[in-house]
Amino acid sequence: MINLKDIRETARDMLAKGEARAVIGYRRGSRGMLAEPAFLTKPEEADELVWDPTCFHNLSLYLVHDRKHLAHAGKNSGGAPVAIIAKGCDARSIVVLMQEHYFKREDVYIIGVSCEGTGVVDERKLATHLNGVQASNAAFDGDDFVFTTAEGEKRIPAREVMADRCLECRSPYPKEHNLVFGEDKTGRQLEAPFAALDRFEAQGAGERWENWARHFDRCIRCFACRSVCPMCYCDECVVDSITFPVTTETTADEKASRIRWIERSAARSENITYLMTRAMHLAGRCTDCGECDRACPVNVPIRLLNNKMEKEAREQFGFEPGASIGGPSLVASFLDKDPGEFIR
Amino acid sequence: MSKKRTGVFVCHCGTNIAATVDVAKVAREMSGEDTVAFTQEYVYMCSEPGQESVVQSIKDNKLDSIVVTCCSPNLHEKTFRDNAQRAGINNFTCEIANIREQCSWVHADKAKGTEKAIKISRSVVRRVNRNLPMDAVKVAVTRRAMVIGGGIAGIQAALDIANAGIEVILVEKQATIGGRMLQLSETFPTLDCSQCVLSPKMVEVNRHPNIRLMTYSEVKEVAGSVGNFRVKVHKRSSFVDPDKCKICDHCTEVCPVVVPNEYELGLTSRRAIYIPYAQAIPASFTLDEDACLGLNPIRCGKCKDVCEAGAIDYDMRPVTTTEEVGAIVVATGFDLYGPENMPELGGGRVEDVLDGLQFERLISASGATKGHILRPSDHKEPKDVVFIQCAGSRDPAKHCAYCSKICCMYTAKHARLYKKHVPDGRAYVFYIDIRSGGKGYEEFVQRTMEDDDTLYLRGRVSKLYRKGGKVRVMGTDTLTGQNVEIDADMVVLALAMTPSKGTMEIAKTLKIGRDKDGFLAEAHPKLRPVESVTGGIYLAGAAQAPKDIPETVAQAGAAAAKVIALLSQATLSRSPLIAKVRRSHCTGCGMCVEACPFIAIRLEGGKAVVNEALCEGCGSCSATCLRAAIDVKNVTQMQIHEMIEACLA
Repeated sequence: MINLKDIRETARDMLAKGEARAVIGYRRGSRGMLAEPAFLTKPEEADELVWDPTCFHNLSLYLVHDRKHLAHAGKNSGGAPVAIIAKGCDARSIVVLMQEHYFKREDVYIIGVSCEGTGVVDERKLATHLNGVQASNAAFDGDDFVFTTAEGEKRIPAREVMADRCLECRSPYPKEHNLVFGEDKTGRQLEAPFAALDRFEAQGAGERWENWARHFDRCIRCFACRSVCPMCYCDECVVDSITFPVTTETTADEKASRIRWIERSAARSENITYLMTRAMHLAGRCTDCGECDRACPVNVPIRLLNNKMEKEAREQFGFEPGASIGGPSLVASFLDKDPGEFIR
Repeated sequence: MSKKRTGVFVCHCGTNIAATVDVAKVAREMSGEDTVAFTQEYVYMCSEPGQESVVQSIKDNKLDSIVVTCCSPNLHEKTFRDNAQRAGINNFTCEIANIREQCSWVHADKAKGTEKAIKISRSVVRRVNRNLPMDAVKVAVTRRAMVIGGGIAGIQAALDIANAGIEVILVEKQATIGGRMLQLSETFPTLDCSQCVLSPKMVEVNRHPNIRLMTYSEVKEVAGSVGNFRVKVHKRSSFVDPDKCKICDHCTEVCPVVVPNEYELGLTSRRAIYIPYAQAIPASFTLDEDACLGLNPIRCGKCKDVCEAGAIDYDMRPVTTTEEVGAIVVATGFDLYGPENMPELGGGRVEDVLDGLQFERLISASGATKGHILRPSDHKEPKDVVFIQCAGSRDPAKHCAYCSKICCMYTAKHARLYKKHVPDGRAYVFYIDIRSGGKGYEEFVQRTMEDDDTLYLRGRVSKLYRKGGKVRVMGTDTLTGQNVEIDADMVVLALAMTPSKGTMEIAKTLKIGRDKDGFLAEAHPKLRPVESVTGGIYLAGAAQAPKDIPETVAQAGAAAAKVIALLSQATLSRSPLIAKVRRSHCTGCGMCVEACPFIAIRLEGGKAVVNEALCEGCGSCSATCLRAAIDVKNVTQMQIHEMIEACLA
């Protein structure tokens, strides 16, 4: 069981001693029970930090933002590292970012938090469970979540309202860390890995297509999934040339050859191209933090697409995204034991 | 940029293309393309008149680029690029649209075939529209060759190259050169002694002023490309100075360690310090570090005490050197298919069941039994010997699908030699059919059957097992339709030839392809049989496919001729079609660095940088990059995009 005091103490200490130039964590949101990302730069702000089942956000996204700000300001490093609260999946994202040389290990101080026997809550599941009653606070208590509502305290076994990704999570413990709170429950398995995907895949091809067509039609291409994803850090996304960066190094020819891989209209064909391309580009990099899925305003089950890639990579190549900083990447590495005789 | 004037030349390839593709329609459709100024169709575009008409048409119509829609660019890209150059336009503005291998050959429906041919052609026309003229890069050639593998193939190749006045480095993994041929007793069809013909060549290698011999050495890493390779060679420590060693044998007398002798295929044993065989080149003992009781700290040290020449040095260290060569010949040879894969033939666990190479050692005058045929279990002369051909070969369901080619001949030889040694013995040969193509081969087999009274049984052996001091062989004679049971004193398996373990490793190190059976892949099965798919790397011997000694020697000579031709040039042209980084898009993630098989990309200041001397333009980086930040010249993202659009239109 994690003691919030310890987290706050660490943050306060690091900021006071100048060991971190900022602490990225969670604090109580302005409304309702939800936590929101917090960026602390002063020691006295440390008491704002919270740790509860609504700390969904993969905060490594803000490490990416920090890098972009530094690059914009023409700086390579911000001096002291940024400290970040990271769950198992978040820490794996940080590892992938370091694998891709996005920042160096010394640029970040990982304050790991273990999800232990639980994880984060799925708001949709909770809403169903509480039958429309609003909760104003959420807390961990062993294997249960405790919610504060107008009708009093509700204790719910965590697994009944937990996010799918947390139920299926194999490593709820941030292996890569500078400091870690909570017990290592690696290997705990509340549900089989890829259980949600397997349920989806159990359908026939026709049914699957119908389902996906429905989802693809619904996508409004707001790019929330991309914005919330720490892996989608490209300056120019291959699927839209709107953000084409023109720098002093951009040649006239490059300007003339802006490729429109997809059209702007949010039509099915274009949406498919976008979501599939994103899934492909996340293969071997997505650590299943599930934020794209959660952020989607029209409930496209984006996680299933990324999960499919993760499953393939695991079954074909025994690949685990974010396993180690120096480890090989999925798409660029080739091992003798890889399947596919034709390539030899 | 003014509009391109592209010419499209549609080839019928006789009926190869024209039977499945309406070539006239392809030409008509292409003339409708915005940038196409001229189209032509012809029955054989690659023929002399065809090529001439391409050159003339470029001149007459002031074309600035051409697309030839024909066969694979592997075959005629160079032909037509040369023609483009002859006509005075840049050769890199010529591209091939392959409507044969990927279209006419694989389709039957003419309407659909034509439709596909049009799409393919259109996509290439669109691509050429954005092709930039380029100049080939001239690079100096390193006039030195490396031969990997010191068997008969490597020895022959090294000698032929060295005799042309070119320096050769011959790298051999074992402590001596000689390879498999050294283990053979006599060779078919003339029955001359293997060592007698090979030893002089080995000596010649050792003495040749142009050959540098590196035994007990392995190639660990190769960088660079045709004309300029940099090869890292790791020489294991032999702990014996070959220049000082007098081969007096005193060291083996005191060495307490006994291990199986690889050269005798485990039929005898050797000491930890040993000489592979008496005439080894280099003529020196070798201390097998793995077998020795211990060198650090020294556990035994007896050999050094008795070495009067002072040749033994326990402090000798392995050395890794980097060699610069212009061409490489791979001659890494074969292994036998593991008998453990064949439980039906004893799985390698039944006593007195030998493989062909072990039998060679048994009948060799220099072998363990000094040429007397004695079976391993009780050292008695076997009176009934069963030879089983195609053990592991020609069995796609369970083992190797291919024919190992030499087994018919060496089994006939084995049977003859056996009868010579044991005149009152009986030899049986199980075979599927006899493949004795080759000069004097058929006659040799006939003599084995007739003069030597060897019983040839047409059929396979289904099972063999030990029974009462003998090996019971159960098989079928398909000519009489009867089951045959023989209680043999000894059984010899003509096991399939497989690429050697070293061959598989070197293929990875050199990044040259292997075929479905694991043998090294040649660039073209008919027209480029001694070249690998990688420029400057050539193949010789059984590493490429099963073959006998004459064929191996011939191929080694051919590979040498290729090397000599290559290294006779002062400079080479390198393709300018290499990768280029769009620095604005590169995030420095390093995936391209990891993906590049030629170690041509590095990160510098957080961006990928391509080493132009090493890049081969394979496009792995481009395919890997998530940010479209690296392109291969003339195969840019834009070009790919337009090609896809042309296909989908």
